[in-house]
Amino acid sequence: MAESTEIEGVTEVFNRTAVEARSANEPEWLAARRAHAWTVYEGLPMPTTRLEEWRYTDLRRALDLEALHLGSVDPLPDDPSSYPALLRATMDEDHEAAGHLVIIDGAVVHTDIREDLASRGVVLMPLREAIHAHSDLVEQYLATEAVPPEESKFAALNAALWSDGIFLYVPRGVRLKNPIRVTRWVGEAGAAFFSRTLIVAESTSQVSYVDEVVSDDFDTQTFASSAVEVIAKDGAQVQYVALQRLGRGAFYQSEQRTLAGRDATLDTLNVSLGASVSRVDLNARLLGPGSNSDMLGLYFGADDQHFDHNTSQDHVAPHSHSDLLYKGALDDASRAAFRGIIRVHKGAQQTDAYQTNRNLLLSEDARADSLPNLEIEADDVKCSHGSTVGQLDDEQLFYLMSRGLPREKAERLVVLGFLGEVLSRLPLGGVVEKVTRAIEEKLRA
Amino acid sequence: MADWVKVATVEDCPPGEFRALAAGRERIVLCNVDGDFHALQDRCSHEDLPLSNGDLEGTEFLCIHHGARFDVCTGRALCLPALRPVSVYDVEIRDGDVYVRAG
Amino acid sequence: MPQNEVIQGLDLDEYKYGFVDEEQHVFRTQPGLSEEVVRQISAQKDEPEWMLEFRLKALKIYESKPMPEWGGDLSTLEETLDEIYFYVRPQDQMERSWDDVPENIKNTFEKLGIPEAEQKVLAGVGAQYESEMVYHSLKKEWEDKGVIFDSIEDGLKNHPELFRKYFGTIIPSADNKFSAMNSAVWSGGSFVYIPKGVELETPLQAYFRVNQERMGQFERTLIIADEGSRAHYIEGCTAPTYSTESFHSGVIEIVVNKGAHFRYTTIQNWSTNMYNLVTQRALVHERATMEWLDGNLGSKLTMKYPSCYLVGEGAHGNILSIAYSGDGQHQDTGGKVVHAAPHTTSSIVSKSISKGTGRSSYRGLCKVYDGAVGAKSNVECDALLINETSRTDTYPYIEIEEKRSNIGHEATVSKVGDEQLFYLMSRGMSEEEAMALIVRGFIEPIAKLLPLEYAVELNRLIELEMEGSVG
Repeated sequence: MAESTEIEGVTEVFNRTAVEARSANEPEWLAARRAHAWTVYEGLPMPTTRLEEWRYTDLRRALDLEALHLGSVDPLPDDPSSYPALLRATMDEDHEAAGHLVIIDGAVVHTDIREDLASRGVVLMPLREAIHAHSDLVEQYLATEAVPPEESKFAALNAALWSDGIFLYVPRGVRLKNPIRVTRWVGEAGAAFFSRTLIVAESTSQVSYVDEVVSDDFDTQTFASSAVEVIAKDGAQVQYVALQRLGRGAFYQSEQRTLAGRDATLDTLNVSLGASVSRVDLNARLLGPGSNSDMLGLYFGADDQHFDHNTSQDHVAPHSHSDLLYKGALDDASRAAFRGIIRVHKGAQQTDAYQTNRNLLLSEDARADSLPNLEIEADDVKCSHGSTVGQLDDEQLFYLMSRGLPREKAERLVVLGFLGEVLSRLPLGGVVEKVTRAIEEKLRA
Repeated sequence: MADWVKVATVEDCPPGEFRALAAGRERIVLCNVDGDFHALQDRCSHEDLPLSNGDLEGTEFLCIHHGARFDVCTGRALCLPALRPVSVYDVEIRDGDVYVRAG
Repeated sequence: MPQNEVIQGLDLDEYKYGFVDEEQHVFRTQPGLSEEVVRQISAQKDEPEWMLEFRLKALKIYESKPMPEWGGDLSTLEETLDEIYFYVRPQDQMERSWDDVPENIKNTFEKLGIPEAEQKVLAGVGAQYESEMVYHSLKKEWEDKGVIFDSIEDGLKNHPELFRKYFGTIIPSADNKFSAMNSAVWSGGSFVYIPKGVELETPLQAYFRVNQERMGQFERTLIIADEGSRAHYIEGCTAPTYSTESFHSGVIEIVVNKGAHFRYTTIQNWSTNMYNLVTQRALVHERATMEWLDGNLGSKLTMKYPSCYLVGEGAHGNILSIAYSGDGQHQDTGGKVVHAAPHTTSSIVSKSISKGTGRSSYRGLCKVYDGAVGAKSNVECDALLINETSRTDTYPYIEIEEKRSNIGHEATVSKVGDEQLFYLMSRGMSEEEAMALIVRGFIEPIAKLLPLEYAVELNRLIELEMEGSVG
């Protein structure tokens, strides 16, 4: 037991001194913001399974902060030939893009953006540079409206200790045909990395963004923390995709919030395939009338992997629409928890909100927990949720086998078909193929 | 097979009492029932909450969170809401020290 | 808009059971809960020493447990409890004939239609007034077949072994704060034993009435349905409406043995100043069936989630929960099914109506343990909202450890449809009639499982709730 005088989560590595070190050479407003975030962090207890949001993930077992050190943040030279092979392979798969950004461990090592877009005011740059080059925008949006430190213990920790990240800005009316592609690599075992993503899409702009994180397996626990803020102004259309393919030994934690203005569309896809423990918090806030959010999720667990997705759909404005579909397959002794809530706030009349979680148990030792919640404070709404847990559909299996497929292959196809429904709802160049291939690899293992 | 770990001395846990301890990476409840030592995993089988907040009553351990009871010798669940046993570990006394093989 | 007028009209809640009798008691404890109060209750009952120890231990557990922070608003409950009478004894002894029950108490139950129903449709009746059962009777033909239907106190006195084997094992004192409280101060309730193979053709009923202001009622019921038996138990509850708050916290433990079929129906119509915090749980063995029909219409706040622990192969659990929340009411209800054996099946259907500032919450659990091969469970929640100030929530917990199982949960929230209203009105109905019809259709599933007289009564009740002076 921790002594009462100790502050939960403060260690020899994670402390105010580390926060102050991060603030060196940063604008004053940012240093103050980090300091404030740290105060918030110290004031919040470490979540336990007694908290509804953490009921199925026991941090006492899942994360050992004491054993971690802070990851290095000095950028490596921008030389693709020196990139780890897996990172290069991941990038080679990427199709046409409007721009690229590469992060290795805690720092951005490469950024490019098509010139025609840059000349129209599109900004894609490391967050560490953006705090100087676009300080007005970053100061306005960074850890303020979307993921402020007050949000949670991890949000506070990230806001205090982030080392680098992505700043993407799309001016009013600018529409990007191809996605922005971000690739991250985590290489340093036993380290903790904190990164942030800030996307601001001005009114009537359009952008899609694909963020992929990969690594090899680790023999000591490695912690990757991410905070994601996506802001779609009136009439903007934004697609945010996160692909998590970390190696075993990783503890992945991502706190995401999307803010959709009037008539904005803000769709998300979270694909969780890697890491030993993966926790994603996603809060979609429908702030403007006519706003819309499709929220997709896909997870596939093997060995003793543990996935925890905690989502919320906040309908603040009337006439807004959201539709969530999270599907997962669980093999071996893996387990997944899904907790989702639709909140229709007072006055948010004519809301349409849906939420579906489907789980496939592929093994005797797998486990799925599902908590689809509704809190409805307006009467003129259409809301529903559904949740299922079951095994492979025998009929489909037998049909395929009667067509001459061996059982193993038939099973693979049924699982792919089950998860594929999610991907078919967000057709994005290269993403479907990439995820399908990753699932196939896992199915074969 | 896990290793034997020294968790306490016999004097640390008098008859009729229990102690919440660590045995390697596992958290355990060490119970002294009239001089016989028993070790249970410190985790109720009903919901994943610590048993050690509860109480040892004779040969039964009461989980205070929802009233489940377990036989400290076998780990067997004795009443609702628990339906599954809790893990029990081997215990040995060597020269006045209590060793547990957990995990 | 005419519809607004209807909705305005519907806000007029009428409670026809709010009459008050002259206060009369032979003993009552000081307000509030203390060790002294627990000892006095125990002494009043002249019970064995082990029960006093059980109570005192439960009191300690109660004191050690924090107030729940989920569910309804319990922020002022602690103050309310300090003012509550935990035990009020209305008469010296329980009677077997209505003629021996004191006049004013008898009148109360006559107004509630109990003796009449007993004649017509019931196998037996128990009537609790304040803290004690004042009347208990079972038709002779069932008594002859070995059926036991008695007050819980007489169960302890006359069947000590059977009682002690099960009491507090289905719902231990420490299960939750209010089961601990009930375990400390329980008084009244039924003890029921249905022998092997006996099938009761008509229901048993227990009726709970609170008359005293600032009263706390803590009935405790233990039911054992032995192998292959079949029975239906109905509980009803009402109280006068006071400006102060009252409190009811029951614990209902049921064992359904191999192949037995037991149905427990609640028509809860407490006045809207009542906290109603109840724990109900059934242990269901091989091929047995447990059905909970839970109708919650009254109370200020109800927190109640009847549960089925399906521990024998092929056991079946069925929970039907109907909630009506009017102005200022919060029904936090639902059900729990725990599958711990192969081929167990369950179904939860929850229907709620929220009107005015009413709030209905569904809270439920479906748990499938590893090894419950072939388990199937289906949960459906349907919430109807009548006004823009109404609220509904759905909080299901689905925990699945067994691959070879099939689990589904669905919930929908909707407004009383304009189309439905319009259609009915085009057939010549007034808006008010149309609204009442829609709502009646909504509670139909529970009504049709009740004896006819009760179904009619339930419908009348809903109509009263819905009725209002339009324009």
